[in-house]
Amino acid sequence: MISSQKQAGALILPATAMVVLFLCLPLVLLFRFSLNRFVPGEFMVEALTLENYARFVSDPYYTSALLTTVVMAIGVTALCLVLTFPIAMYMKRASARTKSLLVLLVFLPLFVGNAVRAAGWMVAFGQQGVVNYVLVGLGIVDAPLTIMYSPTAVFFGILSINLPFAVLTLQSVLEGIDDNASDAAMSLGATPFEAWRLVVLPLAMPGVLAAGVLSFILTMNAYATPVLLGGPQFRMMAPIVASEVLDQANWPSGAAVSFSLMGTTLILTILINGYVARRYAYQR
Amino acid sequence: MVKGNSPSELVGRIAFHALVIGGFAVIVLPLVLVVWLSFVSDAILTVPPDGYSFRWYAEMFRQPQFMDGFATSLIVALVATLAGLALTIPASFVLARMAFRGRDAILHLLMSPLIVPAIVIGSALYMMFVEVEIRTGLPITGSVWGLAAGHVLLTIPWSIRLVSANLVGVNPSVEEAALSLGATPLATALRITLPIVWPGVVAAALFSFVVSFGNLEVSLFLVSAGETTLPIAVLQYLQWKINPTVAAVSVLQIVVVGTGLLLTSRFVNLARTV
Repeated sequence: MISSQKQAGALILPATAMVVLFLCLPLVLLFRFSLNRFVPGEFMVEALTLENYARFVSDPYYTSALLTTVVMAIGVTALCLVLTFPIAMYMKRASARTKSLLVLLVFLPLFVGNAVRAAGWMVAFGQQGVVNYVLVGLGIVDAPLTIMYSPTAVFFGILSINLPFAVLTLQSVLEGIDDNASDAAMSLGATPFEAWRLVVLPLAMPGVLAAGVLSFILTMNAYATPVLLGGPQFRMMAPIVASEVLDQANWPSGAAVSFSLMGTTLILTILINGYVARRYAYQR
Repeated sequence: MVKGNSPSELVGRIAFHALVIGGFAVIVLPLVLVVWLSFVSDAILTVPPDGYSFRWYAEMFRQPQFMDGFATSLIVALVATLAGLALTIPASFVLARMAFRGRDAILHLLMSPLIVPAIVIGSALYMMFVEVEIRTGLPITGSVWGLAAGHVLLTIPWSIRLVSANLVGVNPSVEEAALSLGATPLATALRITLPIVWPGVVAAALFSFVVSFGNLEVSLFLVSAGETTLPIAVLQYLQWKINPTVAAVSVLQIVVVGTGLLLTSRFVNLARTV
């Protein structure tokens, strides 16, 4: 139906041009600005310097924030995977009706926006919140705990955002695994746990890896949750980018932090991928 | 699964269900609590509340930043959805039907708004808009148009994915038959192909709307003081305090997004879209 290359080009050009103009070009500009110099009072001075990147690796303000972000990303991803597998298996086994309901239940929070979900955690974690009410009511603690504006609050906030992504990623892989494989293992004497560990888990490994990488990347770039649940003293990378660009108008630094964040995320993702692939191959 | 009766298997099953329930709780709890707070009658959060009322929903309508934010979000999401579809439907046709050099490269490029961190997209767009504004005098920064352009970008990967997925299932010989019987290419596209891929297009439209309406990180850089979206208004309010009014506004957002998703799920298998 599309008769010529020229026609095909005309059909695909607008979308491509949109991405080039509004993503590629701005990123090139952002990279160029990261090499500029920030002079207080003068805004941005044209230069070709790496000093913004040098400050990123030497200034404890950035390195501690990066460390916080990476530790948070690893911790959230670990618990995320532990919770994702049972949920995804449960969804795979559910009847068609239950499954579509559960999928919708997982999907709704995904698009409601991170600020709204942070609001929910504020209700849970506040001094007068639901969690403290339950803990004090059950006599587990004597006085309300301070959970808001702590790394714990941010941890649960981000976990709750990443879980739907991880569940849907893993579930789509689990759907492709034949139940007969684990049934065969159990009929040959494996316990359900052994069947899971030796048969299902290796088959599902690509899905686990994809879900883990997604959760890791999402945490590295988390913005609203650390801002709303972590409070002003708690620093992660994405809020730093926003504050440098918008509040301090320090574009060169904001740009350098942006690229450093993307670079760190990329390198760590590749390392994790490589590590899991090696370990997994070794286990087989 | 074969049900065992040994104690260790019982422990295993209990642990499994505890993790399932715990996991779902972490996913759903925040939304449940927001909805609950919006019906509480006290002005500040106290557990248990003194009573329940609808008055915060009335209060919400008296707060201009939320009502204006809702209107802006609605307009931007509609513009972004329509513009996004106009760009991605033709592109999806080419990507699904033709093999050409650089096809994969273009596909990766069109998917890239999903890969670059939203906060970086926002920063980069903001700086470019300011630069363009300085050079040309066009008021882009903080305008609805700049905002909509950023949101169009975000909808592209989802639309390409949803429309292409539908197109792949269409047998091209149906179209060839129409063409050989004398229909013009345009008539064939509009009267044969479009009706077949309609579910994909509707799903792409609803998904784009939901993605744009709920976006926070890119909007953050592209809004101005007088022109805020609903999620940004909620974010700014929450940085100050949490109360039933902002919970009611959040419920509004949940209802809009939820309706969009419920409609989408009638057309596509949602589990296959992420």
